[in-house]
Amino acid sequence: MAEILGGFEQAVLLAILRLGDGAYGRAVLSEVQSRLGRTVAVGAVQATLDRLERKGLVASRLGTGTPVRAGRARRFYRLKPEAVRALNQARATVDALWQGFQFPLKGHL
Amino acid sequence: MSINAAPPAWAEAILRAVLTRANVETVSGDLLEEYREAVYPSRGPAAADRWYVMQVAGFAIRSVGVWGALFGLSFLSRTALDWFVPTSDFANRSVFSSTVGIALLLLAGFWSAWRSGSVAAGTLAGTLAATLGAAISLTGAASMLVLVHDPQTMRAIDASGGLPEVFTLPLMLVLPGLVLGTVGGVLGAMARRIPAH
Repeated sequence: MAEILGGFEQAVLLAILRLGDGAYGRAVLSEVQSRLGRTVAVGAVQATLDRLERKGLVASRLGTGTPVRAGRARRFYRLKPEAVRALNQARATVDALWQGFQFPLKGHL
Repeated sequence: MSINAAPPAWAEAILRAVLTRANVETVSGDLLEEYREAVYPSRGPAAADRWYVMQVAGFAIRSVGVWGALFGLSFLSRTALDWFVPTSDFANRSVFSSTVGIALLLLAGFWSAWRSGSVAAGTLAGTLAATLGAAISLTGAASMLVLVHDPQTMRAIDASGGLPEVFTLPLMLVLPGLVLGTVGGVLGAMARRIPAH
């Protein structure tokens, strides 16, 4: 059975998927903030990336730094097949929950 | 972009102390990049520094939150025990609760220094855990007092040291937190250097 994902974990995984080869910490942060439409703490994204890596859903490799980050290395992330399975299951679950309802909801209250 | 803008050096030092060795370069680089490319140009120097400090505080709380919560809850449990299960012999309770508190602060320092390789991380962890624990203990004690303040409970509180002790003792443990965190930090940094077989 695929890993059950929280909402923020899904946001981070989908950001990595969208960014492709450019998915490093700060880029993931910007993508998540842009998609969620709110500011997000750097530590929240980092803690989620660490957790997803511990769960075996993402893999990382070190890349070179840039002058703006004082030459400090970047850590690039990529999805593993387990993450794709988990994302598909999360989407299927949401779709099943919404079956029979029109979006946006009207007149159900 | 403000490539020469620099966040407060003390905040960066704290950040380096609370991150794991594996994450120090990459995470501090991400934070610096966001500071220089997004926050500083849009908010200005003072607000950018505040943003940076808040991010570092978030990392610090995440790194010692569990230890602080355990310390605060153990302290609060002792307070609740004294209030609701009164005794005239506090010696055994004191020995037990002091041992638990000391162990938690030592472990906070040990664990932080072990994962970062820095004694300063242990000092910081012990201090932050004691501070966070004090906040939890004070909030919890105040909440209990609001909910339960019948004459019997008030007599038990007086017999166990009184309200001044309830609301000052947790704050007095920040300094021991610093010392115990440092001791744990020294041990953790030493343990880190022992080669694994």
